[in-house]
Amino acid sequence: MIALDRRAGAFPIRAGIGLRAPHVAEIVATRPAIGFFEVHPENYMGGGPALVALERVRRDHEVSLHGVGLSLGGADALDQRHLARLKALVERLRPALVSEHLAWSVGGGAYLNHLLPLQYDDERLHETCRRIVRVQEILGRPILVENPSRYLRFRHSPIPEPEFLGELVRRSGCGILLDVNNVYVSSRNFDEDPLAYLDALPPRAIREIHLAGHATNNAAGRTILIDDHGSRVAEPVWDLYGRALERFGPVPTLVEWDTNLPELAVLLGEAAHADRFLDSALRRERDAVAA
Amino acid sequence: MLSPRELEHGFTTALLRGTDAAVVAEILGDGLDPADRLAIYRNHVFTTLTEALTSTFPVVVRIVDERFFTYAADRYVREHPPAGPCLFEYGESFPEFLATFPPCRHLEYLPDVARLEWAINQAVHAEDAVALDPRWLAAVPPEEVGRLRLRLHPAMSLLDSPWPLDRIWRANQPEADPDLRVDLSAGGVRLEVRRCGDDVVFRALEPAVYALRRALADGRDLGDAAEAALAAEPDFDLAVALRDLLDETLIVDLTLFSRGEEIP
Repeated sequence: MIALDRRAGAFPIRAGIGLRAPHVAEIVATRPAIGFFEVHPENYMGGGPALVALERVRRDHEVSLHGVGLSLGGADALDQRHLARLKALVERLRPALVSEHLAWSVGGGAYLNHLLPLQYDDERLHETCRRIVRVQEILGRPILVENPSRYLRFRHSPIPEPEFLGELVRRSGCGILLDVNNVYVSSRNFDEDPLAYLDALPPRAIREIHLAGHATNNAAGRTILIDDHGSRVAEPVWDLYGRALERFGPVPTLVEWDTNLPELAVLLGEAAHADRFLDSALRRERDAVAA
Repeated sequence: MLSPRELEHGFTTALLRGTDAAVVAEILGDGLDPADRLAIYRNHVFTTLTEALTSTFPVVVRIVDERFFTYAADRYVREHPPAGPCLFEYGESFPEFLATFPPCRHLEYLPDVARLEWAINQAVHAEDAVALDPRWLAAVPPEEVGRLRLRLHPAMSLLDSPWPLDRIWRANQPEADPDLRVDLSAGGVRLEVRRCGDDVVFRALEPAVYALRRALADGRDLGDAAEAALAAEPDFDLAVALRDLLDETLIVDLTLFSRGEEIP
């Protein structure tokens, strides 16, 4: 098993943002003071100007790779070509963190480009764990696994999600990327208690936090929250983030924004807001050590 | 109860082609029709894949309009979902799909426009490759030159069309004069699309140069390729054509074959 130390290396406990093509020139020119930039490795598995720009950003900043295509929770075989390309990119960029999702995305050779839900039972736990171990062996480093946003529950799914994640951590040595917006969205969609969800997670396994905006939709008279990464982080999600930091201590935090992309300054403003939460958490941690 | 694989394959079918009763039976309604919950996922799949096609084929979108494109993309996604996780690799068969899609059969030039956009997409995202040092080519004994196979840069592609594709493409750029009309009977083109720094460029090639590069790109040896070029233009000059390929840094590797065997 590969040990993971959240304090390892020079990776700062600060807020970062997703790196989006329209912002790259401004980022290279202004070198904003930001904890890190996160990208989807699937967008950089060819060559050309996108990869050149990412390597340029990497010279000035820490980078994390956040995969969406491995289908970690899937029943079909792992895509070896994809894994080899991911390994090559990890070696090239030396990212501070590598993460993926507790989800599947490939069915019978069709890659759906979406994070689809799995049944949480012993069989899926065993298989998902085996796949995480395999990925970590190939990459030669531990990965983080993110809780997905959920819009449906299966009839058969006996293990609660935070316990499923905790068991993956225990058996595979992976860490958890806690998406606080996803916890909020899923909890609201199924009338569950988001604080109870946080309490059921293994606190020391939380290595990164994601924040994002969500949309409120109406389906047949029911309110459904959709994790669309298309707006500012909602106030209740900031509150839940504060509660998460109280439980888990300061953790590198990423603000995601993918659709209706605003000016870079807006994203930097959201990251600065997250930094204020992180500053309080760091102060609390120092005070606790001093006391 | 379905096995995990049956559930995922059934779920996939339900997302792409419509509700699958065995999958719906596994889903809790939680206040909604379970099929409506599947539809939330389906909506996201179709939205993101249509966006991917829209960004790869913007000129096709402009020609047919967004509403029709979304309709065509919806049909394409159902029949040809992505075969890999990288969205920039999605859509290679979209030109062929358009060629056989009855509602746009009257736009005969449309599949070739899509082929040009796919070639541009390839040029943006293809893997990087280092140009061959010209000294390697110079070191090949003259009597062996005909059996050389030259590997051309992966970001370069060639296409010929009976339609004036370059003019159609330019007339459908956002900054183009909206009153510009393209004469579709103006004749065809042989185009080369390639990367140039951070940009993608394309240009029309003369028949012999096109024939040479086409043959090399298809993996034929230099002797065959030169013959194809000479057949296109009797005054074709191989030395000049090779120097141009080197100057344009389009040759990335060479292999020497002898009676079908590779010489190490």
